Amino acid sequence: MPSNTIVERVVVDLQKYPPFDELASDILQDLAESVSLTYHEEGEIIFHKGDSLRDHAFMVMKGAVRLFDSVEDKEVLVDLCDEGDIFGVRAFFSTHDYVLTAQVAEESLLFELPVEKIRNLLETNPRFSLFFAGAFAKSVEEIEHTLTEALDPGLNRFREQSYMTFLENETLEVKPVTNVVTCSPDILIREAAKIMSDKGIGSILVVSAERHPLGIVTDTDLTKKVVSVPGSIKEQPVSTIMSSPVYTISGGKTIADMVMLMVKTKLRHFCITEDGSPQSPITGIISEHDIIISEGNNPAVIMKAVMQASDPDQLKEQRDKAESLLQVYIEQDVAMHFISNILTEINDAIITRAIDFSLQEIDDEGRLQRPDIKFCWLSLGSEGRKEQLLHTDQDNAILYEDPPSDATERVHEYFLALGKKVTGMLQHCGFVKCPADIMASNPVWCQPVSVWKHYFSKWIVTPEPKAVMHSTIFFDFRPVYGHSELGTELKQEIFSLISKNRGFLGFFAKNALQNPPPLGFFRNFLVEKSRDHANEFDIKARAMMPLCDAARVLAYELVIPEYLSTSERFKRLEKLVPGMQDLGTEASAAYEFLMRLRAVNGLAHGNSGRYIKPETLNKLERQTLRNVFSTIDKVQKMLNLRFQLDYIRD
Amino acid sequence: MIKFIAQKTAKHRCNRGELPTEICDYIRCFDSAHQLSRSLEEARFVVFDTETTGFDISNDVVISIGAVALDGFRISVNDSFEVLIRRDSVGDSDAVTTHGLLLKDLHEGSEEEDALISFLAYTGDGVLVAQHADYDVAMINRILRKRYKLELFNQVIDTASLAKRLEKGPYYNLAHKSGEYRLDNLLERYGIRLHDRHTAAGDAYLTAQLFQMLLMKAGNTGIKNLRDLMLK
Repeated sequence: MPSNTIVERVVVDLQKYPPFDELASDILQDLAESVSLTYHEEGEIIFHKGDSLRDHAFMVMKGAVRLFDSVEDKEVLVDLCDEGDIFGVRAFFSTHDYVLTAQVAEESLLFELPVEKIRNLLETNPRFSLFFAGAFAKSVEEIEHTLTEALDPGLNRFREQSYMTFLENETLEVKPVTNVVTCSPDILIREAAKIMSDKGIGSILVVSAERHPLGIVTDTDLTKKVVSVPGSIKEQPVSTIMSSPVYTISGGKTIADMVMLMVKTKLRHFCITEDGSPQSPITGIISEHDIIISEGNNPAVIMKAVMQASDPDQLKEQRDKAESLLQVYIEQDVAMHFISNILTEINDAIITRAIDFSLQEIDDEGRLQRPDIKFCWLSLGSEGRKEQLLHTDQDNAILYEDPPSDATERVHEYFLALGKKVTGMLQHCGFVKCPADIMASNPVWCQPVSVWKHYFSKWIVTPEPKAVMHSTIFFDFRPVYGHSELGTELKQEIFSLISKNRGFLGFFAKNALQNPPPLGFFRNFLVEKSRDHANEFDIKARAMMPLCDAARVLAYELVIPEYLSTSERFKRLEKLVPGMQDLGTEASAAYEFLMRLRAVNGLAHGNSGRYIKPETLNKLERQTLRNVFSTIDKVQKMLNLRFQLDYIRD
Repeated sequence: MIKFIAQKTAKHRCNRGELPTEICDYIRCFDSAHQLSRSLEEARFVVFDTETTGFDISNDVVISIGAVALDGFRISVNDSFEVLIRRDSVGDSDAVTTHGLLLKDLHEGSEEEDALISFLAYTGDGVLVAQHADYDVAMINRILRKRYKLELFNQVIDTASLAKRLEKGPYYNLAHKSGEYRLDNLLERYGIRLHDRHTAAGDAYLTAQLFQMLLMKAGNTGIKNLRDLMLK
């Protein structure tokens, strides 16, 4: 029997760091009993590249260890491990030799973790295995193959499914009401109303003989279509007043799904059928009420208030509410794509309303006459990519139909006035003005289709640096209000310009490679490939932009017509680009992790969250960031290869 | 030489059935010669600590023993040991504040004889290592003498002396500045995090980490085997 005191002591040390902080105490005790401690002096080699694997991995308890690769007698630093970092994990997954050399950088105390014990944990503890799936997916390229080859199929399947959930959250499933009260379409309205009042329910589902949903009768239907209508309509069959068809869905929807659906459809009842279609038997019903009680904080309510706002002040109020919603979602670890979708919907609604108000105001002032010209409001940059979470800068533009030549001036004057009003109103709501003045209030960015086509043609044909910089904002345009077909026309024009000027994509891609990712963190420093250490981390420039730029280049290369976010682009690319299957998911998850990290940091400091102090990150966040950096590296390498950028000279 | 004769005598007593089998097993561990020529890597060190009712070697008694082995420069948590000894007294209030053990705890301890036998079985012929080892060894020997008229046969290393020797050379007079080589000071100087001070096992674990570093240093100064290490 080993000494309890000592085992407990080791448990306490292990527990300080992920993934051991999540293990149950009996499992930890068992692991602690199998741990050995070794002490190493500076310069000592723990293992060499090419050494056969040990039967244990290592965890740094004190000191630091550097991992490097030797390529043609040159050392390439791959990672620096400090307290709590685990290295030599290859031994868990592979039977091949070490691919890196581990050398003690500062005198170190190491825990040796026996491979047998860890393998058991990997098999029995999903969260634990995910930690290593992530950790292992880093730094060394051939690892992916090793993972697939080494992990048993069960674990592998798990990884695919849950790598995302690991970075996101377990979203709760909305529990539908399963003992649904139904009636046939030919019973009388009076009878249906009686059933509803007897059972104390707000709606009744009208079904066919095979229990396929036909329609729904709700309290509102009764009030609007029966009570307020003169005559003895009560004696008619329910089919005459039911709302039909019913929106059907399949089971297993999460709160996130449901809120999104509710915001999008503006419906309040959703019928669950066996296969999700109206041609199959019903199994349950979810009402707005069910969603609200599962949700607590409801974006649909904010949405409604935005749509019903009667003046800009109310928009501001709702925008502030949306921000507090963001805070709650972040705290609850709600999936990032859900958060950004919701906030984009709300932001879009606020912009829409601001445009409504502005159009009305201009009409009321009577100085300018609304031209009979189609227009479209474009959101650009992060807002265009549906990624604007916090109050970041406004980036927007107006695109309008080419006016008749005699009306050019008058139409431009009108839309410019509109642009100024709307951007002013948005500023009032908390959307800061763009310092580079890329806004619809700027005459340059408030133009007819022909001028916009000319702009893009100039950028694509002569991609000088400033043009490429502009491109990264404008190529992410997304129609938010008005005639979106104008946006479609513009996008098609861009595709055709690019197909005639293939060289542009090369410059575009090269721009995406400007910022190589750092290697990781060492204590409070960023470890740079150029061996310098820096102490504040620009998450936007160093991690988000490289991914976002890469996704944009590929989206334009592969002619993706939809207006997608960066992570949506990666998911799409995964299907379009052979050999990007895993990388797409990985990059998409990485980007969402970065968005979350930035939002958390921004909320904590009341700013855009762009600059992160490494000491505020916990071990898991550092670990994940390190994985993210290696994902960026892979994406950049892929881009480099695809466009053969090594051959392009500046 | 004295040890050698004592060992011979003890074995005779074993053959005559005068000592319990467990004690005889312990004695037989030392049959193999050449122990001193073992390299530092091959040797098994047992780093231990005792808590006692006070600091009077002739009157106070051991109330707990904690130990952890260092084998091939490696501290294996699994190869550790801890025992409480049933006593009627926990010592004066000074001692209680140091070791933190109450009479209630000691009632759950093992009988002195069982505790000793299990400690010896755990130790075997390992090299005993302790901070101010003379004291702990004397306390264990007192039990051994009282019960079996025996003393420990193990080689003993004192971490304080070893640290002094490695830091200052063999002729430094410890008496002047004994404070420098107290366990707390050594741990601090070697950057070992204090924790569980003054439980026997906790102190043994900390001392083991210290000894692990000292052993590495010793290796660097040309000490190759136990014989070199034992030179005072």
